[in-house]
Amino acid sequence: MNWLDFSSSSFIAAFFLYVFAFIFYMVAVAGKKWGKRDAKQHEARWSKIAFITSSLGLLAHLSFFFTRWIGSGQIPTSNMYEFITLLGMTIMIAYTIIHFIYKKPLLGMFALPLTIIIIAYASVFPQEVQPLIPALQSNWLKIHVTMAALGEAFFAVGFAAGLMYLLRVIDYNDHTKKGKRAQRWLEFTLISIFIVIGFIVAAFGFKGAGYVAQFQQETVDVSQVGELTTSYDVVEYTMPPIFKPYNSEALQVTEFLGMTDGLFETPSWFNGVNSGRKLNTVVWSIIVGLILYGIIRLIIRKPLGAAIHPKLEGIDPDDLDEISYRAIVIGFPIFTLGALIFAMIWAEIAWGRFWGWDPKEVWALITWLYYSAYLHFRLSRGWHGRPSAWLAVIGFVIVLFTLVGVNLLIAGMHSYAGVD
Amino acid sequence: MLLPVNSKCECGHQNAVGTVLCEACGKPLEEQLMKSNEPLEMRYDGVARRSQKANPDFLDKIWNFFSSVKIAIYLIIITFLGAMLGTIFPQASTFISATFNPKVYYSEQYGLAGEIYYFLGLHNTYSSWWFITLLVMIGTSLVICSIDRVLPLYRALNKQQIRKHHAFLKRQKATYSGQVTDEPVQWTKQYGEALKKKGYKVHIDESGTALLAEKNRFSRWGPYINHIGLILFLLAVLARSIPDWNVDTYVSITDGDTVPIVGTNYYVKSDGFSMELYDNDELPIELKDSGRVKTFKTDVVLYECAANCGDDFLQPELQEVKQHTILVNDPLRYKELKLHQFDFNLTPRINAVSPMIINKETGESYGPFHLTMVDPELYYEVGPYSMELIDKYMDFSINSEGEPITLSSSPNAPAFIFNIKGPNLAEDGEMFMYFPLEKDKVRFSQDTINRELANKLEIKVDGMENVDFSAATTYLNVRIDKAVKFLWIGAFFSMLGLIMGTYWQHRRIWLRIDDNQLTLGAHTNKNWFGLRADAAYALKRCGIELDPKSLDNGGHKG
Amino acid sequence: MGKNRKKVQIIVLLFAFVIGGYAIFQTFTNDTPGTIKEGQAVPDFRLANLQGEPISLQDYNGSPLVINFWGTFCEPCIREMPSFERQYEEWKDKGVEVVAINLSEDTLTVSNYVKKLGVTYTILRDVDRKTEKKYGLRSYPTTFFVNPNGTLSSVFVGEMKESQIHEHIEKIVGG
Repeated sequence: MNWLDFSSSSFIAAFFLYVFAFIFYMVAVAGKKWGKRDAKQHEARWSKIAFITSSLGLLAHLSFFFTRWIGSGQIPTSNMYEFITLLGMTIMIAYTIIHFIYKKPLLGMFALPLTIIIIAYASVFPQEVQPLIPALQSNWLKIHVTMAALGEAFFAVGFAAGLMYLLRVIDYNDHTKKGKRAQRWLEFTLISIFIVIGFIVAAFGFKGAGYVAQFQQETVDVSQVGELTTSYDVVEYTMPPIFKPYNSEALQVTEFLGMTDGLFETPSWFNGVNSGRKLNTVVWSIIVGLILYGIIRLIIRKPLGAAIHPKLEGIDPDDLDEISYRAIVIGFPIFTLGALIFAMIWAEIAWGRFWGWDPKEVWALITWLYYSAYLHFRLSRGWHGRPSAWLAVIGFVIVLFTLVGVNLLIAGMHSYAGVD
Repeated sequence: MLLPVNSKCECGHQNAVGTVLCEACGKPLEEQLMKSNEPLEMRYDGVARRSQKANPDFLDKIWNFFSSVKIAIYLIIITFLGAMLGTIFPQASTFISATFNPKVYYSEQYGLAGEIYYFLGLHNTYSSWWFITLLVMIGTSLVICSIDRVLPLYRALNKQQIRKHHAFLKRQKATYSGQVTDEPVQWTKQYGEALKKKGYKVHIDESGTALLAEKNRFSRWGPYINHIGLILFLLAVLARSIPDWNVDTYVSITDGDTVPIVGTNYYVKSDGFSMELYDNDELPIELKDSGRVKTFKTDVVLYECAANCGDDFLQPELQEVKQHTILVNDPLRYKELKLHQFDFNLTPRINAVSPMIINKETGESYGPFHLTMVDPELYYEVGPYSMELIDKYMDFSINSEGEPITLSSSPNAPAFIFNIKGPNLAEDGEMFMYFPLEKDKVRFSQDTINRELANKLEIKVDGMENVDFSAATTYLNVRIDKAVKFLWIGAFFSMLGLIMGTYWQHRRIWLRIDDNQLTLGAHTNKNWFGLRADAAYALKRCGIELDPKSLDNGGHKG
Repeated sequence: MGKNRKKVQIIVLLFAFVIGGYAIFQTFTNDTPGTIKEGQAVPDFRLANLQGEPISLQDYNGSPLVINFWGTFCEPCIREMPSFERQYEEWKDKGVEVVAINLSEDTLTVSNYVKKLGVTYTILRDVDRKTEKKYGLRSYPTTFFVNPNGTLSSVFVGEMKESQIHEHIEKIVGG
């Protein structure tokens, strides 16, 4: 049996099971008022079905992980695709654990789409197994990366619960300045999620249509001693070039909506060969995300937050506050141990120094300091509830920046292979 | 405050000034507090804390500043915001070239933003005075916060009275009042047994109708152990600046060479660097032919100098102490020395040649003779020829004035000038210039230089087996870090404290039965959900069934 | 702890002040490790001269000393050597010693060059680049001007003009 093929099939199975679980959670909440059902019974029954489905999905996901490990001979945590799918899996593990403690099924209504978006995002990256470079040939790869992912997964669940809290608690009938400001920030958060979805849709859409554009870029580089050197690079785009690379010429551009060349030029102060392509990708994500959001907005005719708010009425917000806090509390020591301590031990062995102020290391420290501030905040009264929920939401943004933003925007020793 | 404050509680216990809740029975002592109905603030069980005393003097003010959690949070926030700034552009420390010029680099590469970055000193964010000051303040805060809190906490938890005041119990964040129909002593005992099953330590007073059940007190010490660990960690980091406590240098060793590790008594020899790439069939499509490295390693031998060590005039006596194959994740470790594989260079270096002399007139060849690039012999007898080495160049070139010079001390283009005596040659010998490397022979037109002598004889290397060369140079990172073991100890305690404090919670349940009136109060530092569940579980076992949520009295948060 | 409270406060704050002060002070001393600061004693050496005899730093104790690091592959080093020779002639009556440490090259190469240049001051031969590493050399030529008591007066990186050599020697003689 080809382990790797089986692994890919398991992954697809997991993805679909997660999607169904999400749908079932929606049925549990939305269908409460259908026909002559007993609302409580209906919710309990469908929540159970949804949870079983999500657990089956997790089993399929675990099978993906382990069969890929067997098939490739190395733990699947070494490139962007593998790491982000691992994160999706650990989020489901964290969710399942929290579910057993608190038994609040509606958390699944947010945890599942989070997982789905994350593994869809992972699928944009090259999926082939890549043999390990010498720096990664160590047992610490197994320990450091998996524990860090597990810690971050709990922060993700804290984020989901925090987001739910805000949706539950922010009053859309409050027309004061303060109330309106809260509504706007919440809506902004939801739009940001749509932009991530926009990225996935745009990436798959254009790749599926086989879109290709190539530019040759001339760059002048400065050496460490101040010498100037000129180099020529070919940059490949998989989305229509709204922003072409700085100082470049089109070699080949597939036509899209009348575009046969770059519409605009990336400003010169963007650094790096791929910065033009990244800017273009971000712009496309924003456009597609806003279009998707706009469509939904047109259909429901009110802010997305206002539409979700009534669906959460049955939940006690204090429970959400508690879940969000507990998730972060459980995750913090795991994150400390995995992302910081084991990382330092491994760095000492491989690179001779336990800490080098590498951007990834610094952002892991920033994440740690941030959540440490969060935990200290909770020691004071008055910082429960809304402020705490916002902190949980922002915290996860910092986690995502550490995982993805640093690789995309900043170079360093930690850059994952296969990052596009 | 000249008037003496009465701090003796109605239960008879004398409390220190500033005590919020009586240390014995828990009755709220302050006027305001007594009148209100708000859930009680149970921090340190209401014991007086040093930093809360009235009339702080200058020293007290500084102490209070560092003891404040609010200040600590501000320090943490400013620190991580500052750390973010350091990631905008690469830090100066990532450039290890000796000729790196930061001022030029940042302004050329990043324009105005780069200039500002350099001007503000942000290219050295993590070793800047303000960043270190923040870390020092956090360290101080860790020490003072902990000292200020751990002792009152210890005092409070060490001597706890079992029978608490009604006001204390009713104003806990989890509380219950009700009637009990069974015999009170029996009921209390039963409650205690139920809680024992949940792992609580149960204490019942002499009357038999008051109970204190306590679980996981050790978890309260968690944060303090964590802080001690962090303090040790920071001190270890600081200790690395002590001279000799932190060595971080590089050695480059060409295959076969033995080099000294300057600043130590060690010498290291490279028995060869080797690199292996992945075959194309081991790589996925998009990586084929990408030259992905599979392994790179250096076989080394470590020596310690036994005699003539400080002396460069005499040859040091070396003793072999360790052999190791250094891989990226497997450095050489010997005592406190570590050698890590850092980088490599696959430029080969020629070490020696063993050429033949060929008499072009007779066709006979003589030799081979051994000619090293470094410190060669000066006299050679090869067959009928005798050669004296007059001059040599390691990296031959002609300067703008047409004079021969050497460009470097590496044998990139070695050249030898011999005075040769032999058959059909002048009595005093004739000058012959020899370039061992074919490329140089052509480049510098060796035959033209040697004129007629080139027709009479030739010096030629016969086959690669007569060339001694080193295939590669390895770069190793030399590390001695005396402070790092303290760092790991600090990290260990930090983790231990963190785990103790977060995965277990300190729970206490008090109750008293007066006539048939049951009053129950409970407290925990985190996870009220679980505490209420415990209290309700025991109540259920004693015949009182209720939803744990109903015990909530403002303790639902956290 | 009560009565000892003040004592504890003072001790803790004092420690924090001293240790913290040390840590912050470190950030201002930003010289590259391995460089010798002015006023510090220069590293010891014991190297062979062209006759194969050992010469060590101690031998120059009590005399102002100029240590010039050079190599035959370093054009600026070769260019400045006549200037050093002339200055040596000018100052040797005042007791100034000049020593030129060659950067670990071959005997033949060094002796041929010295013959060509005709310098009269002492030439020493570094071994395995050890002395140049001890002195923290980063580029060539580098010249150290040493006081009679063995401490560093100044260091000059790069080719020197005769007037510059004169200036630096003045400082170690004037003393």
